[in-house]
Amino acid sequence: MLTKIGNKVGGLRNLLFLCALMLLALVLVLDIYAVDRILEPLGYFYIVFALLAIFYGIYPLYLSRRLTRYYWDRTKRHRLAVFGLVFIFFLVAVAIAGPFLTQDPTKVRFQEKNVPPVGFSITQSVYDVKTDTFSTVHIPGTWRHALGTDDKGRDMLAMLVSGARVSLQVGLLATLIAILIGTVLGVLSAYLGGWVDNALMRFTDVMMTFPFFLLLVFIIFIFGPSLTFVILAIGLTGWTGTARLVRSEALSLRTREFVMASRSLGASDSRIVFRHLIPNVLSSVIVITTLSIPGVILAESALSFIGLGDPTVTSWGVVLNAGQRTLDTAWWVAVEPGVMLFLTVLAFNFLGDGIRDAFDPRSQV
Amino acid sequence: MDNTILKVKDLKVHFFTRHGVVKAVDGDSFDMRRGESLCLVGESGCGKTTVALSVLRLLDSPPGKIMGGEILYGGDDLLKCPDDRLRQIRGNKIAMIFQDPQSSLNPVFTVGDQIAEQLKLHLKLGHREAMEKSLRLMEQVGIPRAAERINDYPHQFSGGMRQRVMIAAALSCNPEILIADEPTTALDTTVKAQIMDIFRDLKREKNMSILFITHDMGTVAGFADRIVVMYGGRIVETGSALDIFDHPTHPYTRGLLNCLPSVSAIRDRLTPIPGAIPSLINPPKGCVFDPRCECRLPLCATVRPEEVVASGDHTVACHQCAPSVVGEGHKPS
Repeated sequence: MLTKIGNKVGGLRNLLFLCALMLLALVLVLDIYAVDRILEPLGYFYIVFALLAIFYGIYPLYLSRRLTRYYWDRTKRHRLAVFGLVFIFFLVAVAIAGPFLTQDPTKVRFQEKNVPPVGFSITQSVYDVKTDTFSTVHIPGTWRHALGTDDKGRDMLAMLVSGARVSLQVGLLATLIAILIGTVLGVLSAYLGGWVDNALMRFTDVMMTFPFFLLLVFIIFIFGPSLTFVILAIGLTGWTGTARLVRSEALSLRTREFVMASRSLGASDSRIVFRHLIPNVLSSVIVITTLSIPGVILAESALSFIGLGDPTVTSWGVVLNAGQRTLDTAWWVAVEPGVMLFLTVLAFNFLGDGIRDAFDPRSQV
Repeated sequence: MDNTILKVKDLKVHFFTRHGVVKAVDGDSFDMRRGESLCLVGESGCGKTTVALSVLRLLDSPPGKIMGGEILYGGDDLLKCPDDRLRQIRGNKIAMIFQDPQSSLNPVFTVGDQIAEQLKLHLKLGHREAMEKSLRLMEQVGIPRAAERINDYPHQFSGGMRQRVMIAAALSCNPEILIADEPTTALDTTVKAQIMDIFRDLKREKNMSILFITHDMGTVAGFADRIVVMYGGRIVETGSALDIFDHPTHPYTRGLLNCLPSVSAIRDRLTPIPGAIPSLINPPKGCVFDPRCECRLPLCATVRPEEVVASGDHTVACHQCAPSVVGEGHKPS
């Protein structure tokens, strides 16, 4: 019985996935009418993301262990890709567990402002109210604030950990949205062809020529600077490259004989799109996904740097912005998030390169 | 003739290209009978594949367009029936096998999955039943250690084995008609012989009607019941295998047979047909074969020859054989 229904939507796995989504939708409906929120708006994104990852990422990887091993071995040959992966895992762990271990990133302590990181010390002139004089004070770094504090005495470590969480949230979710839109539009455009293809691709061109940043600023100006809208804004504008690439791949796949063979054996259009075209473009989609995450993370940082990010969350961009005002007295406030951003972007890029090489049949030895 | 299972009537297929309209199939008619193997023979570009694809309406449109004619199967005209109906026929009643086994399997799914797909779709089988049936089909087409190989991917199979998988997928729903578009062209000779054995068995054991498309008269000789010879988008000769091989009547058919190497005849050179196939954008006004024909008549350049009965159901489209001409004593030797 269950398998019969499963067949209709292309397998038991899809059925379970759809069931989970429906359950989530039910929670959403309850959430709208309930007094207390069950889930934060972003929580829904995470659950969808996690479901996608489990059903279409981890489970298939587990099913074909041999191939997983093969691709892992190939990716492993890329030293830097492994470094990237390790760093990303570290970042994910920090983002999940860190906020429970560090101090409150928003807590302001003026008496502890501009404390340098451990191992550094600065001399600062401090104004004393009682004597009405300036005195030179020697401030050493302490383990209490291992990475120092900013000009309001906020703990840098806590802020960086919080920033890691924001960056990963935005990086993963916005990329997911962009990739989903791009893949669907690209495949549809290639498969349907004709005027649909023309209309979709011209729309993509318009999106591409439109100044990306201006559009982001616009969306956030209209909808307000919350993290959800930042994610949506980046996701809804960042799909153009993916759409084009997927379209070009699907165009060549469409004329392959197995598509014709499948049609000759009675497959419908939707079956061809979902069983033949999409699975075959997935390897490139995975590569663009990892390679576009850094761009998204940078976009979020840039937005919060210019003050268009969510004011209630501490992201690396916000810290950077605070740091550039005190670059002459407290260099670490700007340097630390900068380094984190740099390493994160680098890690995703290396991982993307490694995966691309692993998937590229031409590099087969 | 109630034995007819598929009837192609006056089929016209044109391709609209930048250089002009290519008349790939220009008014062809033939019948296919239940349980027979009908071979469609002709050189590259003569429209064989176009005919085969038209039967299941698989032509890419644009540029291809079916301009006219009927293809009758059961009570349906396959050229006009709604898409849903056609999808039920494809794979279920009429299945097709393609030339290149390298690219006709989806690289990202296991072969078992791909054979089972049709079973799930047409026979509404569950996953487990479908996989069991796939296994039996794989054994039937002679894939050794099928139980181990059912979860392998296409790239782990050789060309011949992949073609067997394709055949298994095509056979999965026990179709009445199997269309095989040059299924042995991409295979080497020994594998080719094995694959031909499978087709022979299918015909004998399941009484399946097979439309076999090839350019290789050698393959045809041992397999065909009836043969349709095409040239330049038109059918030039139709007849039983005996008719065609023993009494080839159209000059083109004779030319084709002269190209065959023969063990018995003492000949040190094969005789090719001079010239090349004409452009189908501007085909010759009269007979398409006229420019290359050895025994053309003045009439051939201007008048298109009608099909005439040579004997029984052996028909030829050639002025040499038309009664008026034969009466004047021009019967080809």
